[in-house]
Parts: sequence; structure tokens; C-alpha cells
Amino acid sequence: MAAVAERTTRPQKKRRGPHERREARIGLLFVLPCFLLFLAFRFGPGIAGLVLGFTDYTIGDTTHFTGLQNFQRMMHDPLFWSSLRVTVVYSVLAVPFTILASLGLALLTRRAFRGSRLFRSIFFLPVVTSLILASTVFIWIFSTKGPWSDLMGLLGLPEQSWLTDSALVLPAIALVGIWSRCGYGMLILLARLQDVPRELEEAALMDGAGPFQRFRYIVAPQLKPAFFFLAVIETTNSFQIFDAIYVMTGGGPANASYSLVYQLYDAGFKYSDLGYASALGCVLFVMTVVVALVQRMVLGKEK
Amino acid sequence: MANVTAEAADTTQAAGTGAAGAAARPHRTRRADRTRERDTVPRALRPGRGGQVLRGVLLAVASVVTVFPFYAMLVLSLKPGAAVSLPGSLLPWHLSGSSYSAVLDAQDVPRWLFNTLVYSLVSVVGVLVLAALAGYAFAKKRFRGREAMFWSFLSMVMVPYHVTMIPTFIMMAKLGGVDTYWGLIIPTLANAQAVFLMRQFIKDLPDEMFEAARLDGCSELRIFVSIVLPLLKPILATLGTFVFLWHWNDFLWPLIMGQSSSMRTLTVGIASLQQQQVPLSQVLAGSVIAFVPIFAAYLAGQRYFTEGVTGSAVKG
Repeated sequence: MAAVAERTTRPQKKRRGPHERREARIGLLFVLPCFLLFLAFRFGPGIAGLVLGFTDYTIGDTTHFTGLQNFQRMMHDPLFWSSLRVTVVYSVLAVPFTILASLGLALLTRRAFRGSRLFRSIFFLPVVTSLILASTVFIWIFSTKGPWSDLMGLLGLPEQSWLTDSALVLPAIALVGIWSRCGYGMLILLARLQDVPRELEEAALMDGAGPFQRFRYIVAPQLKPAFFFLAVIETTNSFQIFDAIYVMTGGGPANASYSLVYQLYDAGFKYSDLGYASALGCVLFVMTVVVALVQRMVLGKEK
Repeated sequence: MANVTAEAADTTQAAGTGAAGAAARPHRTRRADRTRERDTVPRALRPGRGGQVLRGVLLAVASVVTVFPFYAMLVLSLKPGAAVSLPGSLLPWHLSGSSYSAVLDAQDVPRWLFNTLVYSLVSVVGVLVLAALAGYAFAKKRFRGREAMFWSFLSMVMVPYHVTMIPTFIMMAKLGGVDTYWGLIIPTLANAQAVFLMRQFIKDLPDEMFEAARLDGCSELRIFVSIVLPLLKPILATLGTFVFLWHWNDFLWPLIMGQSSSMRTLTVGIASLQQQQVPLSQVLAGSVIAFVPIFAAYLAGQRYFTEGVTGSAVKG
């Protein structure tokens, strides 16, 4: 026991004994395989990717620093503005409704009742399903003769394929996004809901508060951090929307669903314009940082 | 000083993009959750008859909406050739497996399945071993450069994967790794998120256990293999599930690395079927083939999925 106590205080000394040196060697040995791979395939390329945005890199050609040229080109590239708009509109459609749907599912399965676990498992299933696979069936669901079009017909709306209409294609893809993500939000919110003190809710009930009031004044404030966390995660994710669009529309009709990552993919891997693709990556990076900064600011205010 | 930075790192993680501690936490509180789940909801807070009916209806609607695409995928994959008309084509009779044999014969589906298995399984083992070693060192060892290394891991949280992907692809193109397994797998092995979660988990293990073994004269590797690793079982299971799922469903990286048909993974292959205008029932048959293993694993180890996915909020 004494040895243990001594050990825990010892490393604070400046001078290092043979044991500390050995420990340091072992530590380094254990961390190096992972760290070197990380340097080679994440840290290095991550930095290089941001730098490449300021060059005219293409494979097999000499590379020049071109300063802000890629970004100037972007300013005059209608395709960039269109893909940025698609990305932002998609996020605005998908994120709030994903969180709302998550909240709905969480409240529905909140209290333990017979089958509540089964329902949670069902609602979580789309989260583990690849969007590529799901998209193959959603193409049919949204086709002219598909069930979605029939449903619209029943509601008295025009029966048409949403994926071939430039105004409806993003709402359709957002519906797929909501379907695939709301089970995740449900679980995050359920975890928080368990922390809501039952006594508080019962007390409010005694005071004659209805379900809506109880939610508004007792449950919702407890969920605030979770809502916030979800908003950040889902926004960051939706900025990177690609898989579903790649399969369902290929960016169409007439680029109405052509997202930023889609443009990055095409620029880099179809036209080998890797410098410009990296510059688009820089834009994505800035968008991610802005979301994080907003999060910091709001969290700072809360404290 | 060292402690201050480490703690700062923890708060960034907890408050920031990652729900780092969350993966470690469920293991300790699961029992408590269960008892809490089991004890009855107070009568006053239970919904009345009307409330129960409403809840039942809403749950039914939500379940149908959630399950319908899976059902449609399965049934339509078993109805080859028939023009899809509603609602007849959704009824579960006149089924035929011919789309499955067609897609298995005409396309490289078995090969894609094999590729996906290789990509997922090798990556899981690699990521877990590397992250366990690194997480242990970060949590329990002192060495020069530890904080700097840890910060370099943290610094990449904000950089989207798409930025990293471009130079990595260039590097792989120059090394001849495009269209190879090693080129596909090796760049995905150093998973920062896995390292954070491992470090977080190992930090909470009591030092005394390792110290005792060390005083008994065990070598460090021996301590790691026979003492640390067994203690890591819960986190290895959840993290392993998460990494497996992520690789199984991964799309963009295999898409750019697998340029020939024989090097595609299932997701890339199925997207290519869609683009080749293969009949719907065959595309869906491919989707079902790709989905069944994940579904089976989900049924078997559901809680690892839920913990893995919610605990590892951000991809490495």
C-alpha cells in the first residue's frame, strides 16, 4: 500500500528515475503505432487538404500556389452558389424536423410500458441502416407511381414524383434524412428524459399543470442541452449530405439537389481538379467551425 | 500543468462535439437504469384511457412509417419483372427469388460482400488494438509529448473527413494503393474518436490493479494483455460494433478507392447497380443481401449498437 501511495506522488518531481524513464519508453511505444498512422493519414492530410485549397494541384502536373484564386473562381462559379444553397436548404429542412421527430418518438416511448423496448428498437433500426441501401427503396417510394405520390393524391395534392421536381426534390431527400436520423435523436433525448426528476413532474401535476404545461416548464428546460447537442451534430452531418443524393438523384434535376460534397467529389475525382476540390473542402471546414463557434457562444452565455 | 490540459480536453469533449464519456458511462449505470425502468410509473403520471389510445395510435403510425421501407425492399425484391403497381405489388404472395439469383450471377455481389467483410473486420481489429494501446498510454503513462500528441488528435475533430480524403487519395495514388485492400483499409485505422473513448474508459480504471501486477514483476506487455485488455471488454464490444457498422456502411472512401468492379464494397456496388439501370427488384435484392448481416447483428447485440452509436457521436 505504501508503495502505491509513494508512486502516485512521485512523478511530480522534476528528476526522473529509471522507473519513470522506463514508463515513458513504454508509453511512447504503445502510443506510436496509432499516432504515426494518425499523422500520416489524418493529421498530415487534414492540414495538406486545407493548404491544397490554395493551389492548382492536379495529378501529374506541377503545382503552384495560387493564393486566393480558387476562392475567387468560386465566387464566380454559379455551380458553387447552387450547391451551397442546396446544402443550406437541405439542412434547414432536415435538422429541425429531425429533432422534432426525435422528440416525438422519445416522448412516446418514454414511460416503460409493455412493448416500449420493442418500439425503441424499431425506431432505431434506420440509424444502423446504410443510407445507400435505404435510398434504393426510397427511389421507388417517391416515384410517380409510388406510395408517396398516391398519399399526396389522397390528400388532394398533385400525384407526381418528388425526385424529378426541382422544388420538391430537397424536401423528399430531407424526409429520407429525417427517417434515417430520428431514432438517434430519440435515444439521446431518452437518456436525458430519465434525469428529469419525477417528483417535480408529480408536484406540477398536483398544482394542476396539464401535459403541455408540464412539458413546457419542467421537461423542456432539462432537455435543452440535448437539443443543443443534437442541433450541432445534425447540422454538421447534414452539411456533408452526399450518399442519399448520389443514389437517388445524382444531383438532379438540373442540379436542384447537387450538394457541396457532391461538387467536391465531382471536382476532385471526376475532373481531377483536386485544388478546387480542396478549396470546396475549406468552405465545408469553415461551415463546421462556424457551427462550433455558435455552439461555444451559446454555451458561454448559458454559463 | 499536465493535468490542467488533460482536464481541459475532457471538458471540450464533453461539452463539444463528442459525447465522449457517454460510451463509458452506460456500462456502469446500466443496472441502475434497468431497475429504474422496471419500477412502475406513478399512477398520476400514467396516461389515462384516452391518452393511452392516442399514444397507441401514434406509435402504430410511427412504426409503420419506420418499417415500411424495409418491408417494401423485401417484398419488391421478391417480385421480379412485375410492373410495380400499388397496392397489389406490396402484397406478400406470388414471390420468387429469381432476382436474387440474377443479381448474384450477373454482378460481383459475392465479391462485394467479401470486400465489405474484409474492410469491416480488418478495420475493427486494427482500430481496437491501436486505440486500446494508445488509450492506455494516454490514460496511464507519462511520457514526453503526451499532451502534444493528444492535442493533435483533438485538433482534427473540426476538420471534415472530406478535406483529409483528397490528400490521402493523392498519397495512395502515388503509392499504388488505389484499388487495393491495404490502400482502402490502412488510412482508416487511426481513429481519433476510438482513442478518446478508450482513454476516457481506461482513465476510470483503478491504478492499483496494474501496480500490483507490476510489483509482481510482470512485463508491461503482459500487464496490458492479461490485465488491461480483459477489463476493456465492455468498451471493446461497443466500440467494435460502432467501428464495424461505420465501415460496413461507409461509402465515399470505398467509392474513390475501389475503381474496378472487383474492388467495390457492397454500398458502392449497389449504388453502381442503381446507376447501371439494373431492374428495381435486382437492386433491392442486392440491398437486402447487404442489409441482412447488419440486421442479424442488430437483433443479436442491440444494446452494443445503441451504446456504440450514441456514445461515438462523431466519426473519427
